[in-house]
Parts: sequence; C-alpha cells; structure tokens
Amino acid sequence: MIILFLLIIPVVTASICVFIKKHHVSKYISIAGSFIALIYNIYLNYNIYTYHSILGFNNFFYVDALSILTTQIVTIVAFAAALYSAGYMEAELHDGVISEKKLQWYYFLFHMFIFTMLLVCVINNLGVMWVAIEGTTLATTFLVGFYNKKQHQEAAWKYIILCSVGITLALFGIILTYHSAKGVLEEVGYALNWSDLRAVADKFEPHLMKLAFLFVLVGYGTKAGLAPMHTWLPDAHSQAPSPISALFSGVLINCSMYGIIRYHILTSKCVGSEYSCTLLMIFGLVSVIVSIPFILIQKDYKRLLAFSSVEHIGFVALGIGFGGMYSVYGAVLHTFNHAVAKALLFFCAGNIFLKYKTTEMENVKGIIKTLPVTGTILAIGVLAITGTPPFNIFVSEFLVLAGGFASGNPFIITFSSVLIVCITLIFIGFIYNMYRMIFGTPTMDIPKGETSKFTTAAMLFLLFFVMIISFYVPPLLREVLRDIYDIIRNVQ
Amino acid sequence: MTQQIIVNSRAIDILAVLMLITTIILIGTSRLKTCIWVYAFRSFALTLVSGLIASFSGIHHIYITTAISLALKVIVIPGFLFHIVRKINIKKGQESLINYTFSLLLACGIILIAFYSTQNVIQFENTFMRHCLPIALSITLLGFFVMIIRKQAIAQILGLITMEDGMFFAALSTSYGMPLIVELGLFFDIMVSVIIMGIYVYRIKESFNTLDTDFLKELKE
Repeated sequence: MIILFLLIIPVVTASICVFIKKHHVSKYISIAGSFIALIYNIYLNYNIYTYHSILGFNNFFYVDALSILTTQIVTIVAFAAALYSAGYMEAELHDGVISEKKLQWYYFLFHMFIFTMLLVCVINNLGVMWVAIEGTTLATTFLVGFYNKKQHQEAAWKYIILCSVGITLALFGIILTYHSAKGVLEEVGYALNWSDLRAVADKFEPHLMKLAFLFVLVGYGTKAGLAPMHTWLPDAHSQAPSPISALFSGVLINCSMYGIIRYHILTSKCVGSEYSCTLLMIFGLVSVIVSIPFILIQKDYKRLLAFSSVEHIGFVALGIGFGGMYSVYGAVLHTFNHAVAKALLFFCAGNIFLKYKTTEMENVKGIIKTLPVTGTILAIGVLAITGTPPFNIFVSEFLVLAGGFASGNPFIITFSSVLIVCITLIFIGFIYNMYRMIFGTPTMDIPKGETSKFTTAAMLFLLFFVMIISFYVPPLLREVLRDIYDIIRNVQ
Repeated sequence: MTQQIIVNSRAIDILAVLMLITTIILIGTSRLKTCIWVYAFRSFALTLVSGLIASFSGIHHIYITTAISLALKVIVIPGFLFHIVRKINIKKGQESLINYTFSLLLACGIILIAFYSTQNVIQFENTFMRHCLPIALSITLLGFFVMIIRKQAIAQILGLITMEDGMFFAALSTSYGMPLIVELGLFFDIMVSVIIMGIYVYRIKESFNTLDTDFLKELKE
C-alpha cells in the first residue's frame, strides 16, 4: 500500500494540471506534487533500510534497495525539473513560443512520464515492467516533438520508431524467460514475478536464458542509449525542452539500465556471471568509444551533453560488468552522480538557449558575463561531468577503475586502461568546447541577467547534491549501495 | 480427445503458414491499401490461432485476449490506418530501398535463418509447436526487414506491428500466451503507439510534404 501511494502522487498531480489553464497556478501544483513525491520517497528509503525489501499489493509491487535508489534519483531530478519548468516555461510563454493551452498538456505529460518511470522501478512482474518502459516512450514522444517544428517532428519520429523496435526485441527475451520459468515454477500465474523468478533462476535452461539476456540487453539498451543502438538519443535529448532533456539524460536512461541489471542478476544466477558481464562490458566500452569523436567535433551544445550521456551510461554498464565490490558500488553511485550532474548541465543549457536563442556553440560566447550564476554553475558542472577531482563523478569513476585494476583479470585491466584514455579524450573535448562558451566576449549585444528565480533555485538544488557527494557519501546512501551490491551478487 | 488435438494442431499449422505467406505478400506489394488488408488478414489468422489454443488448452483468459485481439488488431488498427491513408490522400506506391524481386529473395533467406536458428532452442512436448516458433521468429524478422527497406512512414508502422504480431505468435506457441495482465498492457501499448505514430505521420506530411523518411535530414552531425 505504501508503494501504491508513491505512484498515485504523480498521477493525481498530472490529472489536476491538465485542467488548470493558468500557468501561475499549475506551476505551483506541479512543484508541490513532485516535492511530496520526493519527501515520500525519502520516507520509503528508511523502510527499505529496515526491511531490505517490500512486497506489496498481492505481490504486484516489489521494492528493494536497487529500486529505491532509482526512484530516489527519479524524484530528485523530477523535483528539480518541475522547479526549473516553472521558470523556463514562464519565459517561453512570455516570448510567445508556446501557448498556455499547450502548457496544460506539458505538465500532464511531464507527470505521466514521472509516473511511468516510477512504475518501472517498483513493479514486480517483468512483463509489466516491459509495458511500463514502453509507456515511458509513449508518454514522452509528444514532449520530444513539443515545439512541433520540422526538426522536432523528425526527432520524435525517430525516437518512437527506434525505441519501439528495440523494445519489441526485448519482449522476445521476456517470452523466452516466461517459457523457461513455466517449466520450473508450479504457480504459473507468478511465472514472471521477479521475486519468484530469482529464487529458482538456477533451474532455468541455460541457453534460453543466454538468448533472453541478449535480446533484453539489445532491447532495453536501445532505450538506455548504449551504442550502437543510441542513434535516436542525441536527436531526442537535444530537441526536447530543456527540463525534459534533463529528465531524459538524468533518469530515463537509468530506468532502462535498471531493467538490464534485473536481467543481469537472473542470468548470472542461471549461467554464471561471466556471460552477462562480458556482454555488458563490450556494449559499455563501445558506447564510450563511439561518443568520443562526436564530443570532439560537436557544434551544438545540447547534442554535446546528449553524447556525454551515451558515454556515461556506457561507463555504468562497464562498472556493472567489471563485477567487483568497488566497481559495482562505483557504477551504482555513478548513476546517481551522473543524473544530478547531467540534469544540472541541461538546466544551464536551457538558460543559455533562452538568452542566446541558439544551440550553436560558436554563437555563444561569454556566458560568465551575461549569465553570471549560470556561467559559474556551468563551469562547475563541466568539471564535474568530465570527472575532475574533487567532484562527485571523479569519486565514482575512480571507484570503478580502481575495482577494474584490482580485479587481476587481464581482460578487465585492458578494458580499464582503454577507458582511462577515452575519458581523457572526452575531458579534452569538453573543456575545449565549453571554455570558449563560458569565457570570451559576447559577440552580440545581450542584456545581462538570470532567467528567473525558479531556474536558479533548481540549479542550486542539484548543485547541492553534486557538492555533497564530492566530499561525503551520506550513511543512508552508503547502506543502500552496499545492499545493492549484495543484490547484484545474489547473496541476499 | 487425441483426435481433437491432432485436428487442432493441423489447423494451427495451416494458419501459421498462412500468416507467413501474408507477411511475404507484405514485402512484395507496393500498394499501401493492399498492405493494410494483408495485415488485417494476418491478424485475423492470429486471432483464430489464439481462439483454437484457448479451446484446447482450456485456459480461460486466452478467450479474453482473443476477443481483444479481434477488436484491436483486426478492426481498430487497420481501420485507423485506412483512415490516415484516406486523409492524407496517398496516391503513388511506396518506394523500396531494394527492388521487389530481390527483397523477396532476401526474405526467403531470412526465413531460412529463422528456421535454422530455432531448430534446437526449445525442446517441445507438443510437436506442432516446433513449426510455430520458427514461423513466429520469421514474421518478426520480416517485419524488421520491412522497416529497413521501406522508407515510407506508414510502411514503417506496418513493419512494427508485424514484428509485434510475430511476438504474440511466439508467446502463444511457446507458452500459451503471457499472463493476462501483461497481455492487456501489451494491447494498450500497441494501440497508443499506433495512434501516436499516426498523428506524427499526419504532422510529417503537413510540414515535409512527403512521407518518405529519407527526407528527415534536419538533424545530423
């Protein structure tokens, strides 16, 4: 019951927002709704801390440390994005880019998107999880095409077609799992419930599970943005309105990764961890490598951030694939760090876009002069996302790599070495591009001043998380991470 | 009773082959309306398979999914696609990346691969299922193939729902369908996604004045 309440909050918020015409009312409702969800999620965290896992609603919901961390990321970024939307959409409304009627739909889809993402994380049945992941695509297609110009329509079309195809392939994996589970479990009705599957996963047919994992990895990997299935991602992430881009890059890819990790655990139990770990490592490394040239030659700053998401999701896949204590701990911490840092950067990008009205990097100069607060936060964010010490991403990347080198496996050590070269190149690309944007003199005559209080508040809220993880991992988070490691290792 | 099962499995075999043939027709035809008719026909065959499986397995919830499948896949989705085709008034046939003869040849190759690769994957108790999984996989892969070779937006939608048909058939033939709640979710997702894609087909036609997705070239590095 306590889990159901978490899902009801965004649905109620969405259905209120769709009926309210005035933006100055609906923005507060949207902020309040996402704030309640955030607080409620922290409360759930303590529950998990005590009971480790909660089964609810006739085994329909299953929540453990892995789900609670993902929902926590969703609610944190969602609250920040709601706060940011209030300021961003106010400015868009003021400029006459969108109408108030469209904003009703914007807030409705925004909260439905949050709802589907939370559903992915708390559901027990793997089939319904598939439905929820497809649901995230459906809820966001109109948000990608929100401004409805040619390029937005193109991005939305690519997004829905590629993600639907990918996810259809994942369905085949689920069908195969169901088939092999039916032979093992007596109660067939529960044959797709993760909590039941996990107990008997070692009795499944190994070659079926291998095939199933491959299909699920490709299918959910499309949604997560793993290369080479990532081609929709830069388009969709760059064409969506900035608050939505933040949610896409920050949390949507984590939700798909969550689905992959669930399957990784099942497959490891059935055929040993080597098979799925190797696949995750290969896809992860390919994603990191593929993103390098696009980051180096990029002309559009929102696409730059989008390709950086491909890199970071690859990094998470690699960390999970390495499989040691430090690597898995670091990889899961990395999902959190990347979510807050990338959302922060997309918020900066939104402010820059509102000011300069372009996404071309060469036309944007001297942000630090025109937007002093955004410029400073952007500089910190760029240092954080590239893994510069002492910021949060450095901590998690260091843990993953340390785990990789400590593993003693020559294969993993080679991967780690290549990875170090890759992140150095990405660091160069990022700093080179961003330095010219942040400093330098503005080419056009642009008035000085921040967008609005809401956007600044949203950025400071996320900056708080970036800074806190940089120096100190709170004990509750540490407990959750340790729990997740146990879940992934299958000891609990 | 055994007689009954043999008759049923014969019928399912025949329907499965019919589904495969209709998918091949989808690849060999350029007229959109014919393609939609073909899709509706294949969905009807799929519904019959699901009805037959419901009757001889005695699992009641398959009747429910059969009814929904009949309503959605045979009537609503083809009707909606016809509505779009009429509304945006497409006259000329669709272009294919590869010419039709050669794509039929490739389709044969895909079917061979599907049969070869599923031969030893699953050991079945019932013999008839052994023919069904390769056919289901062939239909899925052929749907994928259609999406690759056809650049026209509606043809891509048809390819996608063909893939989904293949998946439904795979689920039916390997494990008598998925649990009811999953099936309901699947139907809901398919319906909503086809509607959203339909809306985008309309918008793309409005702003690009073509449905050829090759013209979608605004976003590039």
